[in-house]
Amino acid sequence: MRLGSAVRETFGFFFTLGRRTGRTRTFALLGLVPVAMAVAARAILHGRTGDLAAVSTEILMVFFLQFYIVILALFHGTSITAEEVENRTLSYLLTRPIPKTAIVLGKFSAYAALMSAMVAVGLGASYFVLNAGRMGDAALYAAFFRYLGVLGLGVLAYTAFFAFLGTALKRAIIPGLAFGFGWETAIQYFPGSTQRFSVVHYLKSLLPYRPGSGGGRGVALLLFRLEPTSPALAVLALLAITAVFLALACAVFRAKEYVSGD
Amino acid sequence: MAVIREKGYAHWDGRLAERRCRWAPIARTGIRLAFRKKGFKFVFAGAFLPSFFALAGLYVSERLGDFKALVQSNRNLLEIDPRYFKAVFTNGSFLFLLILVLAYGTAGLVSDDIKHGSLQLYFARPLGKKDYAAGKMAVVAFFVLMAAALPGLLLVAFKLVFAGSLAFLRAYPWLPLSVLGYAALLTVFFGSYVLLISASSRNARYAAVLVFGAYYFSAVLAALLKSVFGTPAMNLFSIPANIGQAGAVLFGQKPPLAVPAVWSFAALAGVCALAAAVLGRKIRGVEVIK
Amino acid sequence: MTAVISASHLSKYYGNVLGLNDVSIEIEAGITGLLGPNGAGKSTFMKLATGQMKPDIGTVAIRGRRTWNAPEIFRSVGFCSEPDAFYEDMTGLEFVAGLLRFYGFSRKEIGDRAARALDIVGLTGDRDRLVRGYSRGMRQRVKFAQAIAHDPEILILDEPLSGLDSLGKRKLIKLIKGYREEGRTVLVSSHVLPEIEALTSRVVLVHQGRILAEGDVPYIRELIEAHPHQVSVRSSDPRRLAARFVDDPAVLKMTFGGDGRTLVVETRKRDDLFERLAPAVLEAGIEVEEISSPDDNLEAVFKYLVGA
Repeated sequence: MRLGSAVRETFGFFFTLGRRTGRTRTFALLGLVPVAMAVAARAILHGRTGDLAAVSTEILMVFFLQFYIVILALFHGTSITAEEVENRTLSYLLTRPIPKTAIVLGKFSAYAALMSAMVAVGLGASYFVLNAGRMGDAALYAAFFRYLGVLGLGVLAYTAFFAFLGTALKRAIIPGLAFGFGWETAIQYFPGSTQRFSVVHYLKSLLPYRPGSGGGRGVALLLFRLEPTSPALAVLALLAITAVFLALACAVFRAKEYVSGD
Repeated sequence: MAVIREKGYAHWDGRLAERRCRWAPIARTGIRLAFRKKGFKFVFAGAFLPSFFALAGLYVSERLGDFKALVQSNRNLLEIDPRYFKAVFTNGSFLFLLILVLAYGTAGLVSDDIKHGSLQLYFARPLGKKDYAAGKMAVVAFFVLMAAALPGLLLVAFKLVFAGSLAFLRAYPWLPLSVLGYAALLTVFFGSYVLLISASSRNARYAAVLVFGAYYFSAVLAALLKSVFGTPAMNLFSIPANIGQAGAVLFGQKPPLAVPAVWSFAALAGVCALAAAVLGRKIRGVEVIK
Repeated sequence: MTAVISASHLSKYYGNVLGLNDVSIEIEAGITGLLGPNGAGKSTFMKLATGQMKPDIGTVAIRGRRTWNAPEIFRSVGFCSEPDAFYEDMTGLEFVAGLLRFYGFSRKEIGDRAARALDIVGLTGDRDRLVRGYSRGMRQRVKFAQAIAHDPEILILDEPLSGLDSLGKRKLIKLIKGYREEGRTVLVSSHVLPEIEALTSRVVLVHQGRILAEGDVPYIRELIEAHPHQVSVRSSDPRRLAARFVDDPAVLKMTFGGDGRTLVVETRKRDDLFERLAPAVLEAGIEVEEISSPDDNLEAVFKYLVGA
């Protein structure tokens, strides 16, 4: 089977499977937490739009950017190979007439699509609940798609990185946690260009506000010590991170043999 | 004619010579298995990093003359008192490294047993639910005490050695008890928390993500709620904030949150109670009906 | 006849543990049984043969094509793995149909083939139930269904009969034999001699990563027959029982156990001995507690073959 068709079929298989697993439901529910917050915020801060904007920024970006997409990508990215090895189902895939690369790329696409859907639903619902009074404002939609784009790129880059960790290491979760919540947080305190060795730096560089531009406390938190890269370069960097780590994941998966615990 | 005798099941009615610590083999096995994991020793060693830095700070505090240039602007950081200990053991990096150890070494404690159907093997022996839970809890306790109690007490001892007098201990005679009390709090809380999450999933990898994720999520959630409701009481949803608050009380410091510290203790106790309820439901023994 | 599966000096190590050691073999069309105790290296050989593992030394090929990183061979190969592992959140039909997607069939053909495969293994009535709700036997059958659904020319089956009841075993054995009639190649592993015997007369004996013997079942049987069997009888009066067998030419040696109740008889004709044992016991009115044959297993044959 050609690579393109094999990736498409792998995508279909795992997208169908992924939709019905319990953990997808758990993660989807987690993504709806900001929606509940947004409803509460509207009820409490009704009429105070300035507060609402600040709350909106905090809810959407702190939660989604620094927690939700990282935890989603960590679990799904490492799952690409780890769950097959743990559940001893890898032989079903390895004994089909498809290139090994297609398994990685197909599962990656399926999980990225699922995660993007979860992010889009959570972000969209909470964003429009918070901004229900400005539904006629075109800028609202432009900002929404920008947020969505940032998170989508984040999902791709993080998932590719964690997919590589999962294929290369037997137990990738701890290095993944250390990277996602240790390195990515600590890096902002490092001097010079060091913060460019993180994914989150490029994501923050794409946010629709810059350091010193004001905003809520969440903005201050997100932009802490940020020396932004230009948006075009940030997008390129994120796509490059995705491509490089996916290629590495494919190469490792092709070369390595996986022994299940049977 | 020869008689064919049936060898049926027979209940044993004798007295069982029980060992005193029936949970001990479970604890020993759990600790041994954690250390067998690749790279675990490295992760575990990482949990001692904050203590090493604290030890260096403690040394510097006794040799201020030698480190004049270094400490000019950070002098108050190097005043060794219970606040210093509180800062070392309740700060984010210490708790981050500790939770990393727990996620790696202990997340599979119950979930692996559920996945592999080992619970029945446990309960086919003279073990009760309490023994099982105590054994698993002891594994968490080992790592928490090693990372918190041991370095805490050693820091007190080193302070005395570096100072060459007992003045520090005379000034804060209760500090070793504070260290032990705080370590006990961490043990009970994290023991319950880890077992609660581990019992909620059959997948140890998923449990590891949840051990870390729920901890981190609680902090994010509290920040979100605080920004919505504008009240510091929302910090009670944050595990690290509650630990910080309880730690401050145990080290005799002013609680950092503008809410009564007892609420933080209650919030942590709530998680422990939930853990007990979930464990009780998940861990079912093998009943032999007579 | 040309070899369908061939291995040359094939070796595989798991760290310091030897999985397979210098195995050279040629497997032809028809059914070949891979027989050996647990841990002998059967699954390792099958994983190497299906390209799931990379040989450390030597080569393994299907129809002359090396199997590592050669997915195209799986158009004509069906593999049924040994572990009881599935995508549990799928129904039986979804599981088989989902795996058929990778062969480039049309949607309609996928549906037809999956339905046919499930029908062959007798799971039509349960095809819309989640796999997680299947019994062990059903799980074994759906695993077999996914291996045959694309109509492969070569079937590699790792312990396919384990977990099946006797009726299920009979059905599956009949099915596998049907593949031989169609001129296909089946490599099947088991640690149970009668199972392999029921499937084929061509057997490869594997032990500790090596091939001990290769040939048809009568030859293997001969090896067993040549090796004296021990039969242990625990009874109320072992000496009186022994007296009844002293003049039996099938008996080579008799010893008494330390408990004073056990008689161990060594014979080259085990079946003859068993035939005579029952009437002897009844006639003498001896109460028998237990009859066992300590070396009546494959392990004993292997021990004999390796000279242990």
